[in-house]
Amino acid sequence: MKQGIGKAVIFLLALVLLVGVVGCSGDNPKETEDKYLIGLSAPLTGDYAQYGDSFKKAVELKLEEVKAAGGINGKNLELLAMDSKADPKEAANIAQKFADNSQVIAEIGEFTSTAALAAAPIYERNGLVQLSPTSSHPDFATQGKYMFRNIATQEVEGPFLADYAVNTLGKKRVAIIYIQNDWGIVAKDNFAKGVEEHGGEVVAEEKYLPTDGKDFSSILTKIKNTNPDILFLGTMYTDAALISQQRVKAGLNVDIIGTGSLYSDKLLELGGEAVEGLYLASSFFPEDSAPQVKNFVDAYKAKYDEVPNMFAAQAYDAAGLIVEAIKAAGDNPSRQSVRDALLNIQDYPGVTGKTTFDENGDVVKDMVNLVIKDGLYRVFE
Amino acid sequence: MFVEQFLNGISLGMIYALIAIGFTLIFGVLNLINFAHGEIYMIGAFVAFTFVTIGGLSLPVAFLLSIIVAGFMGVLMERVAFRPLRKSFPEATLLATLGLSIVMKEAATLIWGPETHTISNNAQTMFKLGSVNVSLSQVSIFVVALLFMIGLHLFLTKTYWGMAIRALAQNREAASLMGVNVNLIISVTFAIGSAMGGAAGVLTGSYYGAFYPSMGFLPGLKAFVAMVLGGLTSIPGAVVGGLFLGLSESMASSYLPSGWKDAIAFILLLLVLLIFPQGITKRKEA
Repeated sequence: MKQGIGKAVIFLLALVLLVGVVGCSGDNPKETEDKYLIGLSAPLTGDYAQYGDSFKKAVELKLEEVKAAGGINGKNLELLAMDSKADPKEAANIAQKFADNSQVIAEIGEFTSTAALAAAPIYERNGLVQLSPTSSHPDFATQGKYMFRNIATQEVEGPFLADYAVNTLGKKRVAIIYIQNDWGIVAKDNFAKGVEEHGGEVVAEEKYLPTDGKDFSSILTKIKNTNPDILFLGTMYTDAALISQQRVKAGLNVDIIGTGSLYSDKLLELGGEAVEGLYLASSFFPEDSAPQVKNFVDAYKAKYDEVPNMFAAQAYDAAGLIVEAIKAAGDNPSRQSVRDALLNIQDYPGVTGKTTFDENGDVVKDMVNLVIKDGLYRVFE
Repeated sequence: MFVEQFLNGISLGMIYALIAIGFTLIFGVLNLINFAHGEIYMIGAFVAFTFVTIGGLSLPVAFLLSIIVAGFMGVLMERVAFRPLRKSFPEATLLATLGLSIVMKEAATLIWGPETHTISNNAQTMFKLGSVNVSLSQVSIFVVALLFMIGLHLFLTKTYWGMAIRALAQNREAASLMGVNVNLIISVTFAIGSAMGGAAGVLTGSYYGAFYPSMGFLPGLKAFVAMVLGGLTSIPGAVVGGLFLGLSESMASSYLPSGWKDAIAFILLLLVLLIFPQGITKRKEA
């Protein structure tokens, strides 16, 4: 009797396994050979959700344009978007999923440097391009042959913002609050170095952990005591909005300057009055007069009824670069030939400026000074 | 700076104290830790957030309503995770509350989304006391928390239910032999403890302008430390523990690198467990 039950259990287990295997193989239909998949790994939910949303919308817009123009080699490009929640663990899982899916020919993402760095070894091992529209950590592109980015690193943005703060705005005493992760530390280091080179002085440097919660009041009180002229934020929009609000409560009445990461409508929504007058830099501004920018802004507005921000523009260019590379890779593009073609692109005329990769997969981009005025992002004059 | 950091610390400490009182009440009556208490705090905050943003109510009204909701959640939680397991071994209840805390956090993520929300026109009113900046929300945290503590003290010492709670904490069997309705009194204890947890959630949410599903985790842990500092079953001890913790955290972040702020609570916990295993106040039954 007992043996009978044992046999029944084994039989059941075998059945479950069989069904599982059949079920899995059902997930890979063979009739989809007529398209190329582009992976997108980005935070579609969570505190960074608006960044991922901009990424997804912009990439979809680009792929639609390709479809309208008849595809590439008679095949369509399709987007396979996955939500990383900006969590490095998730980004690594997604990287493995994309690597295992032979139809994925290139990947766009990750949004944060931390997540992009976590996923990099997996993409590199599997020979799949990871083109990050926004990872500005100096070490990202040097992680391997398949790592690319189309944004300037913090080594460019930091000194640029320091120049904005010290020379353009005339603020010599600078206080810094930054998030303690890979990106925040290099953002702080490069900005602080720039401030000192321009003759300013860093009077306070305060960090917080991503898991610390949302109470910045004691940091702000401490900073207030050092009498800064301006407060630099190396953070993303949610924390920046909270710090701006809490600084009012702490009685710290100084201007704020931040990285391009603060270019988001969510910052205006969460921060309200408190982010008025906030200074930042961006690689993109929708009122730019260049024809490709105007076309992009018009198409984006027509499709989504909103003005694209810097993150949409960066992702749109990233998608454009991938499309160029697939076209240049010939009739039968592979992951490797797409990577080689990407490296050979010269002066791609994107909406965030001309893109040419150096041998590491890095780019040089111009930036523009912005300021929040009357609840809108404007060019600083 | 010292005075302002002191005020920051008092506000934080009052919040920890409110949450720790909830822990202590429940521990006093059942000798059990409720790990889902931090989630009650979070739900209370989100309920107020919803009443303000969708219901269009003013913050004080939303505050009162969310306290009531948090109280009911506490009663419900007791029915689901505590009462069915009361005769079982204590670890079963601990695990049940841990599970419940995960379920509540995920449910909140599904309902409100994982991102941070804010109440846009939250009280940023500031005024100066001498040369010190004080914000209206700091004052309201202090006043509201103090009212809760005085109210609770009167309730526990002057009313029948309060006396029944204390009787239960001393000896459940004897209390039940004296005609105390044990189930009812335990429900009341949960309602009060959870209402205070919910109140703390609303106060912090509007103070920092941030509502998010994992907001209950760290304050819950800190309040647990405050409760241990206060000797587990003493309500005045929990208040002292909370204030002590809040003050040490804000002082630590002003005189040490700010990364140390969260470590302080746990360093204190270790020290107290090593040096005063009975808590910093003398242990006595609630």
